[in-house]
Amino acid sequence: MSSTIKETQKMIEEVLEKYPEKSKKDRAKHLAANDPTGQCSTCQVKSNIKSRPGVMTVRGCAYAGAKGVVWGPVKDQITISHGPVGCGQYSWWSRRNYYNGQTGIDTFGTMHITTDFQEKNIVYGGDKGLEAAIKELHGLFPLGRGIGILSECPVGLIGDDIEAVSKRAAKEINIPIVPVRCEGFRGVSQSLGHHIANDTIKDYVLGKGMLEKTTPYDVNLIGDYNIGGDAWASRKILEEMGLRVIAQYTGDATINEIGIATKAKLNLIHCYRSMNYICRHMEEAYGIPWMEFNFFGPTKTFDSIRNIAAKFDEKIQRNAEAVIAKYTPLMSKVVEQFRPKLEGKKVMLYVGGLRPRHTIGAYEDLGMEVVASGYEFGHGDDYKRTYPEMKEGAVIMDDATLYELEEFTRRLKPDMVGSGIKEKYSYHKLGVPFRQMHSWDYSGPYHGFDGFPVFARDMDMTVNSPTWDLIRRKK
Amino acid sequence: MRQIAIYGKGGIGKSTTTQNLVAALAEAGHKCMIIGCDPKADSTRLILNRKAQNTVMDMAREKGTVEDLELDEVLLHGFKNIKCAESGGPEPGVGCAGRGVITAINFLEENGAYGDDTDFVFYDVLGDVVCGGFAMPIREGKAKEIYIVTSGEMMAMYAANNISRGILKYAQSGGVRLGGLICNSRNTDKENELISELATKLGTQMIHFVPRDNEVQRAELRRKTVIEYAPEHKQADEYRALAKKIADNKNFVVPTPITMDELEKLLMDYGIMEKEEVVA
Amino acid sequence: MKIRDHSDLFKQQDYQEQFERKKEFENCWPAEKVKEVSDWTKTEAYKELNFKRENVKINPAKACQPLGAVFCASGFAGSMPFVQGAQGCVAYFRSHLSRHFKEPFAAISTSMTEDAAVFGGLNNMLEGLENAYTLYNPKMISVCTTCMAEVIGDDLNAYIKTSKEKGVVPQDLLIPFANTPSFVGSHIVGYDNMMKGILKALWAGKKGEANGKINIIPGFDTYTGNYHEIKRLMSLMGIDATVLADVSDTFDSPNTGEYKLYPGGTAIPDAMDGVNALATVALQKYSTVKTMDYIQKEWGQKTLTLSPIGIRNTDNFFEELSKLTNKPVPAAIEAERGRVVDAMVDSHPYVHGKRFALVGDPDILLGMMSLIMEMGGEPVHVVCTNGDKHFEAEAKELLASSPFGAHGTVYAGKDMWHLRSLLFTEPVDVLIGNSYAKFLTQDTGTPLVRIGFPLFDRHHLHRQPIIGYQGALNLVTMVVNTVLDELDRKTEGSASFDVIR
Repeated sequence: MSSTIKETQKMIEEVLEKYPEKSKKDRAKHLAANDPTGQCSTCQVKSNIKSRPGVMTVRGCAYAGAKGVVWGPVKDQITISHGPVGCGQYSWWSRRNYYNGQTGIDTFGTMHITTDFQEKNIVYGGDKGLEAAIKELHGLFPLGRGIGILSECPVGLIGDDIEAVSKRAAKEINIPIVPVRCEGFRGVSQSLGHHIANDTIKDYVLGKGMLEKTTPYDVNLIGDYNIGGDAWASRKILEEMGLRVIAQYTGDATINEIGIATKAKLNLIHCYRSMNYICRHMEEAYGIPWMEFNFFGPTKTFDSIRNIAAKFDEKIQRNAEAVIAKYTPLMSKVVEQFRPKLEGKKVMLYVGGLRPRHTIGAYEDLGMEVVASGYEFGHGDDYKRTYPEMKEGAVIMDDATLYELEEFTRRLKPDMVGSGIKEKYSYHKLGVPFRQMHSWDYSGPYHGFDGFPVFARDMDMTVNSPTWDLIRRKK
Repeated sequence: MRQIAIYGKGGIGKSTTTQNLVAALAEAGHKCMIIGCDPKADSTRLILNRKAQNTVMDMAREKGTVEDLELDEVLLHGFKNIKCAESGGPEPGVGCAGRGVITAINFLEENGAYGDDTDFVFYDVLGDVVCGGFAMPIREGKAKEIYIVTSGEMMAMYAANNISRGILKYAQSGGVRLGGLICNSRNTDKENELISELATKLGTQMIHFVPRDNEVQRAELRRKTVIEYAPEHKQADEYRALAKKIADNKNFVVPTPITMDELEKLLMDYGIMEKEEVVA
Repeated sequence: MKIRDHSDLFKQQDYQEQFERKKEFENCWPAEKVKEVSDWTKTEAYKELNFKRENVKINPAKACQPLGAVFCASGFAGSMPFVQGAQGCVAYFRSHLSRHFKEPFAAISTSMTEDAAVFGGLNNMLEGLENAYTLYNPKMISVCTTCMAEVIGDDLNAYIKTSKEKGVVPQDLLIPFANTPSFVGSHIVGYDNMMKGILKALWAGKKGEANGKINIIPGFDTYTGNYHEIKRLMSLMGIDATVLADVSDTFDSPNTGEYKLYPGGTAIPDAMDGVNALATVALQKYSTVKTMDYIQKEWGQKTLTLSPIGIRNTDNFFEELSKLTNKPVPAAIEAERGRVVDAMVDSHPYVHGKRFALVGDPDILLGMMSLIMEMGGEPVHVVCTNGDKHFEAEAKELLASSPFGAHGTVYAGKDMWHLRSLLFTEPVDVLIGNSYAKFLTQDTGTPLVRIGFPLFDRHHLHRQPIIGYQGALNLVTMVVNTVLDELDRKTEGSASFDVIR
């Protein structure tokens, strides 16, 4: 074992010291020093396990994964938060899954629709009310192409049969009605919600859309939620390569796109964590291969473009080289402008299920080093993909707590931290430059060639804002 | 104010016993209240002389929310001014009846249903404590005494023992105590001795043996308690005796539930259960 | 180099073409059909259909109980909000409050999962309390519930007792609790329940000598500026006041390069002494109903509910306070009043006769209606998703009290999709509501004054007071300048584009 690994391990042990015995034992399995080679047996973290009560986990729930991530962005579906009012309220247009359309008429993305459970719905059950709600919504929004029922905790606890309601209602109004059993107490994080949502895509919508013709260049853009327009920036590259994106999953998606995805030749998956399930299903059931790619930062984007092109004919490969050649000068200009201001800066990341590894290359393009990274809801396969991306001795964190994040920050002294809204302002108080890496801090896109300049600009303004120097720090 | 919860196996005669007992207490001048904690909502009809009263949950459903409910819509006065309320709840198989109990009790408390001058509040609770909701009446600050209605039938005794186990859990953390077993006779063999023995084993007493009498049924057909329908009848005196014993009771214990084996041995000792049955 | 982000990148030709190409796969409706339906949603017929809706809320302006409870819990020194239930809820409360205040917000979840749904949440409570106490060193742990714990019927009182008996937390650690089911009431009820729970636990039957102080309970008030303002006013009045659940530091702490988990709040001894005060004054009614009832009945204390939004409400506030304490209203406050009234006289031509639609929490609505009518404005649509029948009656009475209320209708229990219909069929000049009301502005063109909660898309509005005379001035400034901005927009390119208004 190398000394850098040992040093990090010692630091982790110190941080863990404060925990009560039982939680210490558990948390120790989720924190490790990175070994890019995968040789060191103690350097593998455990993941996708229940959070300890009371430690202040950052994680959310299955509903957040199913509604907030996977189904919420499908723009022409009427998405019902089925249960009490809160869940829908707190997840109301907070993820910025951009879309085109006329809200409230043919699209419904920025709306919060809920059955608003009252005591009577708990005691007598919510099925009757749900059925009536579906009819009322269909009457008010006749252009809705589908209705999603995203269940909240009580629905599962009182044993409502939303599947039966959906089936009856779908017969009557003849659009897909998708019951999603994503009650917040299921599973250990958002992750199960992704899986449940993927399964309902498979069961209720997949294979059912209309597409007049197909081409050898048809692909699906999977696991891109179009946050701040990410998917549009990615689509632009794929189209310039000569590929035809027939479906976006699920940023700016329509029910029809979700349905016709089975007609593609290849699934391109960006957020593997939240959508690998549907890719695996399409591979097994429809023989569609899938591949992961990374459109953060020029280095990874160039690599990905070549890897994608390799799956197609020479024409596409020639296009790919042309695209790279076209954007290389622009990317160099961005690096030229921002790298000098960011060179050598240390970054700590703690995000969801993809960005803790996928953005590392973009930071490195700007001369920055990711010294710690972790996932809220990653699984073993995510970590396996992360170890080689990080330097030896870097800190790997799974399901980190507020306490741990603060302690690692004190010890690692990063120049900036990328995490979520719950973490943002404690870092502002600490005077540590911070960027939200879920919502891009209301900026974006960060994907592709149009995204990287924005990414670079934002990291620069984060690290080099003069406001940090105004803080009068207590000695 | 004494708050008392009555538990017991379904169909054992809890509601009938409770209403007759409360009628007897009221007749003796005590100010009483009954809260039915069972979606069947049949805990107050003999007091109110009517089929069924509007329940808290039914009215809340009609109004939309509990907040819009008024107390006088669900708190009625019956025989001897006994205050009556029913939690109400769903048909079997849907929703969450336990939550209905929580809602109803919260509503009644918050809206001052108990008043300052009530001597006894009785909670008539669904047969089994199947979830947290049905333990609501014995949470701290609510009923401190429990009586279990049972009979000499095997299943009723099983249930009594199980309920004791539930009480034990609450008794350890809160102040709730078992006040005794009420034997509502089914005319089984050696019933009186058997229930007395079970009571001893559970660390409590058989507070009263209520003999079986058809007068109870005759009264019930007229939606009345025996106390009201046939005050001179000897069965009325049985309920008066029970009422007096409960009013005077000082014997409150943390129950000592027994094991299945012990219970079966007890049944065999009294010849209720043959050895072969156990083997079978 | 020019860097374009989402705000102008996607307007460019290449993206516009991309969007057109994408339609091939979308199966989107023909533009004429969309237009037809869009026009229909603006009609009287659609409004009728919309108002027939009984089983679903669309864009409701309310949150759930535990949000209000954790907000309240965070206003006591060293108090850690602690939520028994599924963990996603707490993640949502923390995000929601941080988005409004732009401040960190710590709260604990007991992370209940499927096994707890079946067996109850006792073990989660035990381990949760132990971890929270050890890691975050709270002086008090304030427990509330999510709907999960409520549906399965977790017994908080018994669980907390057990945890102390088992020694997972010290016997003397303050652990108030409140049941806060999200399927009853809204965030304002959750605030009320938690406040009552905390006061109950802090008091615990101990009454001492009268201290002559006044307790102030702000209610679910998300304006940190209001907390600073009430303290300033009390000190001007010479009143020794204790603000109960003082969240001003929690949600507006100075940046010193240090992150404090417990940056302030009402000191526990001060809160405990609340029982010995002369009186308790609530600044909101609908978020303090149970608390005030408790204080009156259990503490035997005088209680007053005085919401100081608008001139007359503030007048009443000072009159009552003066009566209560036998202290005169100082000249400084009288001068403030004079200045604000002067400003209102100056601005009245732009507000008089203007039609207003309002949506928000009950107490804010009542205050704003009052202020608007004082300026000669007319509240036309008053939408209160979390308003009950008491609110409805009170709001109607308020409208009836002024000729400017003659055209007003109160919609309790309705939502912002109902309001959308109303804004089309009976248009108004100004809309007052939270950030989500901006979608109504987008659809109907009605200019929005951002007042209420949450305010996500404008910075620092919550740092200015909206109570007292100073608050009235801030509100008047916002309202009149919104009217003037709109006037500029409407007159651009015409002779009416005046420079002096």
